[in-house]
Amino acid sequence: MTSKSKTGSAILAAFVGTTMLAGAMTPADAKTADGKWLIYLSLSYSGNSWQSEAANIVKALAKTAPYNETVELVEVISGTDPQAQISDYESMIAAGADGVVSFPISSTALNRVVRRGCQEGTLFFMYDATVTEQCAYNVSYITSGFGENSAQALVNELGGKGKIFLSRGVPGNSVDERHTNGAMHIFNQYPGIEIAAEYYSYWDDRTTQQETAKALAAHPDVDGIWAQAGEYGAIQALLQANPDRLVPMTGENSNGFRLALANPDYQAKGLAGVSAGSPPAQSGFAFKLMMEILEGKREPLAEGERNIQYPLPWVPADAVKLCEGDAFENGCNAFPEDKVPSSFVTEVFNPELLPELSLASALDGQPTEGATIQALPADAVQKAPDAPGINCRQCEAPEDIYALTKIEPTVQP
Amino acid sequence: MTGPHPAAELSDTAAKDTRTAQKVSSTTVAVLAIYGLVAVLILASRAVSPSLGGLSQIETVFYLSAFLVFCAFGQGLVILVRGLDLSIASMITLGAILSTTLMGGSNDGLLYLVPAILLVCAMVGVVSGIGITFFAIPPFIMTMAVGIIVYSLCLGVTGGTPRGFPSPMLREFMQDRFVGIPSPVWLLGLFVILGTVLQGYSSLGRKLTAVGNNPAAAHVAGLSARRLTILAYAISAACAGFTGILLAAYSNGATLRMGDAYLLPSIAAVVVGGSSILGGRGSFLGTVGGALLLTTLSTILSALGIGQGWKTITEGLVILAALILLRDEVFTALQTRFRRTA
Repeated sequence: MTSKSKTGSAILAAFVGTTMLAGAMTPADAKTADGKWLIYLSLSYSGNSWQSEAANIVKALAKTAPYNETVELVEVISGTDPQAQISDYESMIAAGADGVVSFPISSTALNRVVRRGCQEGTLFFMYDATVTEQCAYNVSYITSGFGENSAQALVNELGGKGKIFLSRGVPGNSVDERHTNGAMHIFNQYPGIEIAAEYYSYWDDRTTQQETAKALAAHPDVDGIWAQAGEYGAIQALLQANPDRLVPMTGENSNGFRLALANPDYQAKGLAGVSAGSPPAQSGFAFKLMMEILEGKREPLAEGERNIQYPLPWVPADAVKLCEGDAFENGCNAFPEDKVPSSFVTEVFNPELLPELSLASALDGQPTEGATIQALPADAVQKAPDAPGINCRQCEAPEDIYALTKIEPTVQP
Repeated sequence: MTGPHPAAELSDTAAKDTRTAQKVSSTTVAVLAIYGLVAVLILASRAVSPSLGGLSQIETVFYLSAFLVFCAFGQGLVILVRGLDLSIASMITLGAILSTTLMGGSNDGLLYLVPAILLVCAMVGVVSGIGITFFAIPPFIMTMAVGIIVYSLCLGVTGGTPRGFPSPMLREFMQDRFVGIPSPVWLLGLFVILGTVLQGYSSLGRKLTAVGNNPAAAHVAGLSARRLTILAYAISAACAGFTGILLAAYSNGATLRMGDAYLLPSIAAVVVGGSSILGGRGSFLGTVGGALLLTTLSTILSALGIGQGWKTITEGLVILAALILLRDEVFTALQTRFRRTA
């Protein structure tokens, strides 16, 4: 690009920015030539169940009436390199995207291109992971306290003392840091809790299994495991090391883990704990919210108010309930073993926010027969607290950032 | 071939050499050294945690190494014929996905499905081999392309969520013990014996080594370098598929990225085990030692209470040290020193 055209686009951007500030920009008229909304689904990587399910949910919703007539959805997979996602965002903006619903790779690297997109009238909706650029909407459970709540649940199960493992996510990732900081805030209050081993499992079942197996070789007498996604692998490793002994553990939402928690056989061997963590359903909520704003059915939120909290799923062992059908009905929250693989992340559904979805939506991106898009409840949007470096820049975390919301301590430090 | 094997003649003359230092080959020393290093590491790990250094750690190391050894065998053969197989990760995924979707959690057809899956994987390897030999595509590019295509097919067909479960019999096999030792460790032992015989002592192994040493000379000697190279890629792909089937049984399901953690370690195990990355030289026992070393190292490191960055740095340093120590120059220097003092 020559410097001349750079200046030109800067002037243009400034102009568009000013008109937006003046409130003249009504995104509701910007449509593609064939009268459909041009929406991009931008993924970072694909290949694990979580990412696929989140993407499938958006695809299924886009095929559900009336969006099947009004939305043109284009899926773009950028890989794990922020540069690739930046240039993909650029292409989307250049193509005149009305909206981008995306899993962002980095919370900071995409800020500049997102800002530019906002100025060109593209709506950005991030799900699960976040960006700190204030013009983008972040729909995420990250601030809902997975780390501290699950840590307290583990401490309660262990009676406040014991040797534990931390099975973490991806090194250097802001989500992993937030979860682990929350958990350590709790564990540090209990001198009886000893972190025997801490390893990175990359949110993957198989890696978790092997890393836990290695840690068990050094510490066969572990008393509990605090795990992020991949937790089903930790149970497998425990059973492999000693088929008669399980320990209390907390983890995320895999179907295998929920079934194990509810398994009386496993409970007798010592398994107890809670299933919580990242729900793929966030993508569907983000997409529906974006469409309602695009269609003018919902007022856009002011910049700085665009961090939206998705409620933390919280399923202790005694709350696991098998679904008889293909959706979360009558309060069920896990599927029989023959319906989905163990690594399937169960939290793809949400009866209030996403009643349109069924199992085929999450597994294959297919719409549910006869379903039509239902409007989101008026009070669906819940503001997320500030989390510096995660959903805002130059902001302060609230003092009670690690306040427990799902569980009370039953043992005192 | 007729007449006495040229190598046999050579070894006859070598046998007449009575100097002790000349009797041991550099490969043997390298292989012994690497097992020695593994033993030292395991003993030293007691300092890290009192539970380490015992039988249960050795068991864990053997168990976890098994997967790496299975796919590193194929990688070793490919490297032996001057190639490189970057499709291993995708082939592991393919083997795992085929086994969970085809078996669907039942034991029916286990006996014919496993060979069928291995055959499918081998055919993919044949495709890589044909591209490399007949179309002269560099192995690096060819196997990478095949790997990407296979992975993308898996992604497209499964929609990102591989279905199904491994056969219960395989699953039990992965958890069972036989005479107090996990069954996969027995399988590892059997595999090592077969692999050593195949690579080191069979006519096929010698032919592959000959092709790797000098393809032109091998051709003159009447060997079909192309056919042998293709065979090496087929075996490598089948070995990776085999690893995938067992991994799926180990972790009770397939995921798309399950092979990723084995691609670079499979190459590292071969090279750390004393094989030449340029082909023509190497022993499977060395590769097994390399795999054991890598696994032992990561077992100990995960028990250390240090940050992830330091763990990775330590791992890199130990591998580097092993490679430097196992170089031919070091061996020759020691040999000279030994001869002088003797």
